[in-house]
Amino acid sequence: MKLRAAAVAAFLVLLSAASANAAGVGAVPVVTRTDGVTLITQQDAAAPLVHVVYVVRAGLDRQSLAQNGIAALTAQTILDTPANGVQLSDAIAAAGGSISFIVDPGDVRFEIEALPQDADKVLALARQALGAPAIDAPTVHAARELLITRIAENQQIALQVGLDMLSSSLATSANAGLPEFGLPASLAQLGPSDVRAFYATYYRRGGSYVSAAGRIDALAAGSLDQLGMVLPEGSTTAVSVKLPKLVGASRQLVAQRDIAAPWLIAQYPAPAVASKDYGPMLVLASFMQRTLADMADVPGVVSETYASRAVGAVYQYEDVQPGLVLYVNGGIGNPNRSFETALSIANILATTKLEGSIDEFKAMAAGDFISSTNTLEARAWLAVVYDENGAQPDYITRTLDAIEQTTPADLQRVAREYLSNPTIALVVPREDS
Amino acid sequence: MRRPALLVAALALLAPLAVSAAQGPATGSLPHGGTYTVVRDNTLASAAIDLWFRAPGDGYDDAQPGISRLAATAAAAATLESGRSLVNLVRDAGGRIAINVYPDLVDISASVPASAARRVVAAMSAAYFAPAIDDDSLKIARTDVAVLSAQQHYSPDDLLHDALFAQLFASGPAHYAPIPGDLSDFKDITLAQVQAFAKRAFRSANATFALAGNVDTSLFDAVTAGAPGSPDGPILSSPAPAPVDKTITAAVSGEGVAWTGPPISDERAATAMDFIADYLFRDGTGVVSKALDPTGDSYVNGQFITLHDPGVMLVTIGGSKPADVEASVLAAIAKLEQPLDPATFAAAREAFMYHLAADTQVPSAQADNLGWYTAEGNGSYAPSDASSTYWKAARSLDPQFVASVVKKYLAHPVVVRLITPTSKESTS
Repeated sequence: MKLRAAAVAAFLVLLSAASANAAGVGAVPVVTRTDGVTLITQQDAAAPLVHVVYVVRAGLDRQSLAQNGIAALTAQTILDTPANGVQLSDAIAAAGGSISFIVDPGDVRFEIEALPQDADKVLALARQALGAPAIDAPTVHAARELLITRIAENQQIALQVGLDMLSSSLATSANAGLPEFGLPASLAQLGPSDVRAFYATYYRRGGSYVSAAGRIDALAAGSLDQLGMVLPEGSTTAVSVKLPKLVGASRQLVAQRDIAAPWLIAQYPAPAVASKDYGPMLVLASFMQRTLADMADVPGVVSETYASRAVGAVYQYEDVQPGLVLYVNGGIGNPNRSFETALSIANILATTKLEGSIDEFKAMAAGDFISSTNTLEARAWLAVVYDENGAQPDYITRTLDAIEQTTPADLQRVAREYLSNPTIALVVPREDS
Repeated sequence: MRRPALLVAALALLAPLAVSAAQGPATGSLPHGGTYTVVRDNTLASAAIDLWFRAPGDGYDDAQPGISRLAATAAAAATLESGRSLVNLVRDAGGRIAINVYPDLVDISASVPASAARRVVAAMSAAYFAPAIDDDSLKIARTDVAVLSAQQHYSPDDLLHDALFAQLFASGPAHYAPIPGDLSDFKDITLAQVQAFAKRAFRSANATFALAGNVDTSLFDAVTAGAPGSPDGPILSSPAPAPVDKTITAAVSGEGVAWTGPPISDERAATAMDFIADYLFRDGTGVVSKALDPTGDSYVNGQFITLHDPGVMLVTIGGSKPADVEASVLAAIAKLEQPLDPATFAAAREAFMYHLAADTQVPSAQADNLGWYTAEGNGSYAPSDASSTYWKAARSLDPQFVASVVKKYLAHPVVVRLITPTSKESTS
């Protein structure tokens, strides 16, 4: 067994301690086993819940183009697997918890959460379905129907539509940029035999994570270990799908949807969390966020308004292909002005060093990051993101240090390196709507 | 039962209290009047700091709707001794601040990095316990309220909430919208009136600090303003003896249904009302919510608002077929007059308790929850505290009791319909 991060002792204590106290901000024990499963634990005695993220290398990049949606269909089939006479998700709800999944370009992650006293029961239900899903026609049919509904729901969210388009443009492999749930037409072609084959091939222990946060002390000894061992041993590799790049002068993607007002979304490539540019990019994102909000809002107001919420800058550092996204909701009046100004500022930043203090933006970046780490789900997932990127998963300390060390010269360097060439998505109302 | 304030204050002087959710919040007295309730989680890097007051949204003479919002905003925007306002101090610290005003309460809520918590506690107490509202800060507050009021005209949920309260309560602050929709009277509120309101409402003795996250009671050493005294009692409104339905022409359409319910002191019945709202209306899992077409435009929100006396069950409905949704809401409630079968009930109750914990897991939700229940008069019943009487009440629920609560409180709803001028024309 390969033990990492000099945290073995702490980890063992956490697994066995029935009354462990809160560990304080920062320390995050990590253990990677020889079978490729990594266990991460963040005990929080004050938390009201236990949250476990189970990450399996069965995401979008394990699909071929013809199998668009198979990763989600497999995950949904697991959630729909009968348990206690109902679907797993309902059985877990009745037991005092929840389960859901997210399909990422490089993995599928199951988010499992429960009241402390119910956590073992909930994890046992999850383990049972993950290890032996009911991949039969009725279950796969139910899963497909639910996914088609979720696709329809997503299509009503203009920002989501734009982000999906941009995500496919950033992906290094064509399959990794496919939509999270596939398309109704592609799902219709997939049946139990496809799900069975995908599950058998890619639901393996290698590269998986079990990351837990909250009242871990309430779990029976070995409970997380057992979750990590629920799948057969073995590792898998991504399916490489190369398509020739589209050649053209325009970097604009346009979609029409049944929405009331247009959305304008720009995406720039951005650094990963282990990069020296990570801290400066967080500060840059805060600068852009503040600038956009100041432009959109009524001068001098104290409260957050619709106008300030209609614009934003989001640094998607947790993505496999990180990006900085700027968005403007056209419902606020003249979105072109806000959007053009934002793009101009990005260009100016690349050529001109900021005069004056950047402390305001550093504080905002730190505050926003800290605020984003309050849920157990975020804490469990961020530890995985940091570990995957080769960084120690004490994400709060590392991020706050990276922000603190950022200088105006760093901002200019990062703006020059990343903010020169955005891809733009326009999601506009249908012409007949 | 809450611990004696004097004992807790004495302990606080000796050392910061190390408390966790499992142990329940630490409660005690502020150095210069007022109380606190603190729940600590030192694995987090953030702090939620809420300051609560009992204050009538329409003024102490029931004649100035909106004055509490105006005063609370002006105090946050006023320049402090440091040369900065509370709003700017919180923002410069990387935090966010919100001013939440209800008919009977005012809440100033800041979420900041834990390293800034002491500065924010000091600034918040100075801004409110010794308010320095002047023409400039009042001007900012007037603009702020005007913008929020204009926004509200396009928010069916907000409009329905206020309109339903106006029907349920014949007089008192609950009859009036905390942010007035019509600003004509509001414009006449003077600086002197706002200053007088702030001086009375924002007394330290009338305050409760609710803190959550990486915080401890030593932060209250930073409170330098205030004066001892007694808090105001709960601020009550008079329920209408026979609330009547109403149709209102508005910029947006929607429908709302409401009932008055048990007071906060009737813990088991109030908890049953929360259970009913969760079982029927919770987004994604509620029986009524799940029955809606997820690709359609219909939606339903339902909650029990726990108040001193009485509480209010309030359901808002949106989309192009509100009448259909209203019918399914009323049918689902009528069905609950018969006890659920034991297995369904046990599953729903367990899910309800999980939802309670999930909804109150972050510091801002915990501070909000602790502050609200304390200000409404029953802090030991706050659901965010797993050791509170709320959880005992939740565990004690049974199908028969829930059915009896439905029969007692949810038989006669009041309905408000928002119609747009266009729909009005097409109807006529």
